[in-house]
Amino acid sequence: MKLRQSVDAAPGRSPRQAIPFLLPALVVLAALVLYPLVFSLIRSFFDAGGDEFVGLRNYVDTFTDPRTLTAFRNNVIWVVVAPAAVTGIGLVLAVLTERIRWATAFRLVLFMPMAISLFASGIIFRLVYEEAPEQGVVNAALVGVHDLFSPSSQYPGARPRDGYTRTEEGYVATAPSRAGDTVMVPLTGFSPQEVPARALPASQPATGNGELRGLVWLDVSVGGNAGKVDPIERGLPGIGLEAVRDGKVVARTTTGDDGRFTFPDLASDEVVVRLPASNFALPFRGLTWLGPSLITPVIISSWIWIMTGFAITFIAAGLSAIPRDALEAARVDGATEWQVFRRVTIPLLSPVLLVVFVTLVINVLKIFELVFVIAPGSVQSEANVLALQMWQVSFGTGGDQGAGSALAVILFLLVAPAMLFNIRRFRRERS
Amino acid sequence: MTAVALRDVSLVYPGGTVAVNDVSLSVADGEFVVLLGPSGCGKSSILRMVAGLQRPTRGQVVLDGAPADDVPARSRGVSMVFQDFALYPHLTVGDNIGFPLDVSGCPRQERTERIAEVADAFGIGDLLGRRPAELSGGQRQRAAMARAIVRGPRVLLMDEPLSNLDAVLRSGLRAEIAGLARSLGLTVLYVTHDQIEAQTMADRIAVLRNGVLEDEGLPDEVYRHPATMHVAAFLGSPRMSLFRAYVQVVVDSHVALHVGGQVIDLPWPDMRARAVAHYDGEDIAVGARTEALRPAPPGSSGSVLTGQVRHLEHHGHETLVSVDVGAWGVEPSGLHELRTGELVLRVRPDVRPVRGEHVGVHLCLEQLHFFDLADGRRIGPRGRRR
Amino acid sequence: MTLVAEEVRIEVPVSGAPKRGVVSRLVSRLGNGFVQLVLALVALFWLVPVFGLLIASLRDESANTASGWWTVFTKPSELTLDNYADLVANQAVWQSFLNTFYIAVPATVLVVVMAALASYALSWIEFPGRETLTVVVVGLLVMPIQVALIPVAKLFGAFGLFGTITGVVLFHVAFGLPFAIFLLRNFFTGIPRDLIEAARMDGATEWVIFKRVVLPVAKPAIASLTIFQFLWVWNDMLVALVFADQDSAPITVALRAQLRQFGTNIDLLATGAFLSMVVPLAVFLVFQKYFVQGVLAGSTK
Ligand SMILES: Nc1ncnc2c1ncn2[C@@H]1O[C@H](COP(=O)(O)OP(=O)(O)O)[C@@H](O)[C@H]1O
Ligand SMILES: [Mg+2]
Repeated sequence: MKLRQSVDAAPGRSPRQAIPFLLPALVVLAALVLYPLVFSLIRSFFDAGGDEFVGLRNYVDTFTDPRTLTAFRNNVIWVVVAPAAVTGIGLVLAVLTERIRWATAFRLVLFMPMAISLFASGIIFRLVYEEAPEQGVVNAALVGVHDLFSPSSQYPGARPRDGYTRTEEGYVATAPSRAGDTVMVPLTGFSPQEVPARALPASQPATGNGELRGLVWLDVSVGGNAGKVDPIERGLPGIGLEAVRDGKVVARTTTGDDGRFTFPDLASDEVVVRLPASNFALPFRGLTWLGPSLITPVIISSWIWIMTGFAITFIAAGLSAIPRDALEAARVDGATEWQVFRRVTIPLLSPVLLVVFVTLVINVLKIFELVFVIAPGSVQSEANVLALQMWQVSFGTGGDQGAGSALAVILFLLVAPAMLFNIRRFRRERS
Repeated sequence: MTAVALRDVSLVYPGGTVAVNDVSLSVADGEFVVLLGPSGCGKSSILRMVAGLQRPTRGQVVLDGAPADDVPARSRGVSMVFQDFALYPHLTVGDNIGFPLDVSGCPRQERTERIAEVADAFGIGDLLGRRPAELSGGQRQRAAMARAIVRGPRVLLMDEPLSNLDAVLRSGLRAEIAGLARSLGLTVLYVTHDQIEAQTMADRIAVLRNGVLEDEGLPDEVYRHPATMHVAAFLGSPRMSLFRAYVQVVVDSHVALHVGGQVIDLPWPDMRARAVAHYDGEDIAVGARTEALRPAPPGSSGSVLTGQVRHLEHHGHETLVSVDVGAWGVEPSGLHELRTGELVLRVRPDVRPVRGEHVGVHLCLEQLHFFDLADGRRIGPRGRRR
Repeated sequence: MTLVAEEVRIEVPVSGAPKRGVVSRLVSRLGNGFVQLVLALVALFWLVPVFGLLIASLRDESANTASGWWTVFTKPSELTLDNYADLVANQAVWQSFLNTFYIAVPATVLVVVMAALASYALSWIEFPGRETLTVVVVGLLVMPIQVALIPVAKLFGAFGLFGTITGVVLFHVAFGLPFAIFLLRNFFTGIPRDLIEAARMDGATEWVIFKRVVLPVAKPAIASLTIFQFLWVWNDMLVALVFADQDSAPITVALRAQLRQFGTNIDLLATGAFLSMVVPLAVFLVFQKYFVQGVLAGSTK
């Protein structure tokens, strides 16, 4: 029997009736998506101005340009690290939320970043990772923890005036001294306002019998004499000093409230007075998160913050679709919870995990705004990714639309496998 | 006058399924025709072609004498009640009923009146403000019917409209639908797989199998003279017993039917004996409904087969006794060909045969059916066309 | 093979209590409380950054430069709405905020309308090439917009659309359509065939079926799509960066100029970012069910 096409299955309905329904969407798609795709492909074989055919030169240039190579490297890091991390975290959290009653609220909180713009998320994380501990909460927390274990010095940045050389260990007197001497240590580079309140006016100690004595004071040159103890000047309490002989520390002492110190029982040999660096250490200011070396991990962390909610919600939907029977049968068969998870849940969930993963990979390949916003201008080249590079080359500073088109085509080719994955999944679901 | 006629209609779906095979069928004005057949036999496909939702691969649908080939569904004046009722979930019952009027530009005033009128006829006048989700199954059924007839269609198509309802509701609605259709003078083509519905509602039955129209006629006629053994097996409950018999012509006397080791004689005066005689030396299928069978007291003569009681089915007002008479059974579908043939005997509930007991069964020769084993067709003259 | 024997071996519990793995024992030992604590901490990790931005937007420039937002707990008096007042008074920023609406609303309406029309044809009207067309749409789902930036910029230039809101809207419509069609088509094909055919029998034309039956029935899907598309356009930066000029720029692009001196512009940036978040957050909180559905359905975008 000869088959008629199913096309006009119902009398009086012609395929032509589809035209008015399809036309608006098709025109827009053809003009602004399909035609541009073809155009970009062709355009990528022409030079910056679009006048001269240059063959594959744009592609060759692209793969030899160090900026693009950095972008490639970063894209690889992104693809390798980020989707797997988000899928993993999402899986763990989705499973954990199955045990709690406020699961919906929890998922809602984690999903919220999906609603706001990548620009706003970028601002949020720029603030989170801001270097100054007065502004960035991460560094503030780091400094807090750091100072808990090694408190910062009392006189950051202060230094002796003359007669001392700077070494790893601290400031070492150029001239040796011995018991009975008086050592004067005038310090500068420190604001009088920050001298502790308990400090007393400085005065030179009397020469002691058999003791090495001395004074550490804040020597202001304005309104006083440099290197001399003036009436308005105060001693600096709490400064540690060491007496060193032949490279070995033989005695330690600390200045009193009037800035005076004493090494009580030194033998008669010569020693060198040293002020350990810890007295003057600059405070810990946290890490340079937005600097060249950490910028990509930082941006990835913000992306994880944005996408985890998506993964959780998707995976949780997958989890709830797993038939209870299968899990219960496994339990009845004597499997432990872990075995149930490994042998039943994960295999049944794997299609969902794959979809989540692929989706995240596509998303990662197109990452643009986060890098653009979070990376400060000076390190953007370090944080560069293809999508950003494409924009910069064609619209930013570059203005080379040939190279930009080549990058666009490369981006398209990178996404193409995902495209095929989607089409195959769609076809399978249909049948 | 013929309201609907199918002329040699066939339908092949794109996958290659032959859903309807060369069917000719007509429905007269005001007639209630039931298309009966097991599910998947092509009933819905026929309805959809009449409705204009599906174009026949071959053949023609004729409405009121005019070919409907290119008339779209909306202009055919045909309406349909779907199996799942297909009520618009977002509209109230009133708006559902009014939808066909609304889209054909019927003025509001007239629409309201018509809706009220039809709704009252179906006893859902006070449900007009509800959504379909707030109705019971029976109410949805009525709403769907009301929507189908509100426009005054020439033909009403119904596709298993009762199959989604529970048994009690179903038997009530059977009578109600048939009664309403007759009182409104509707022309109805009604599809079902339930032979009781067909028997009780139809003016005329058409039995479909694998896309082929196997039998057609008055309900009683089709029941008593089924054209094929498939039709015979499909109609009637309990099912007709079918078993093999070997035909031997005894010249000038009778035709002997060997059933297992036993023999039934078909005397020459029986009109069918001649036809059966053509199968001399071959097997045929013999069919017997319970009404053709009676318990035979021990020692009685005539057309009696004896056998062993296999199992009993107590129904309260009667008991069905399956008796194995040692014959091969016949399955119309061709499956389980090697089952033993069992006669189903209907006895009073106070008669209590024991399983394994030997009993005699008297067969009423006039009520036996004979079928060709090869094509399943009825053997013998028949008091009607075909 | 030994493997098989191992697989079917039934472990008989020695003491009668079910045998359980280390992990599950540990988990139940630490109990639900531990899980709750961990999850609460995780939730905190998600909330703190947003909260920080909110507080930063409520402190003035000098406060933000001098100390972190967390000091607000000791100095709540620093909170002020001045930043918002300044921002709203800033003509350019306020204009960009309005522009965001002017872009997002038409881009959403157009996408929903066009996609609904096309999806109806793809679901319920048979025509040659329907399968192919559907597959093409599915393929376009993941199309990176970068491939269209240069050609469309040229095209818009030729038609005088470059630097206009219309241009930005058109581009968003084009790249919103594949997902929109995908989502609606999936929903439309799920509508029972009987319902469509009932309408057809009731005398409805394709247009009437679309308008009176399919659209009302598909309301949840349309709601999901509307919200998803609105937020997608609202949150965009790249498209506007390329196609909008100063007068038509949405808020994301307008604020971008301030990024250069982030440390000293925290008050402005935080306020602007938060202003840009207010609409999405409100939409999200009110329609979260639809939004989540939309994102899950459009997972491939
Ligand atoms: N749209 C279709 N495409 C392909 N095959 C179909 C289609 N509709 C029905 N069929 C097949 O055609 C046959 C008849 O179907 P149908 O007319 O629905 O039977 P019934 O209504 O009697 O149950 C069945 O085998 C069915 O599988
Ligand atoms: Mg059917």
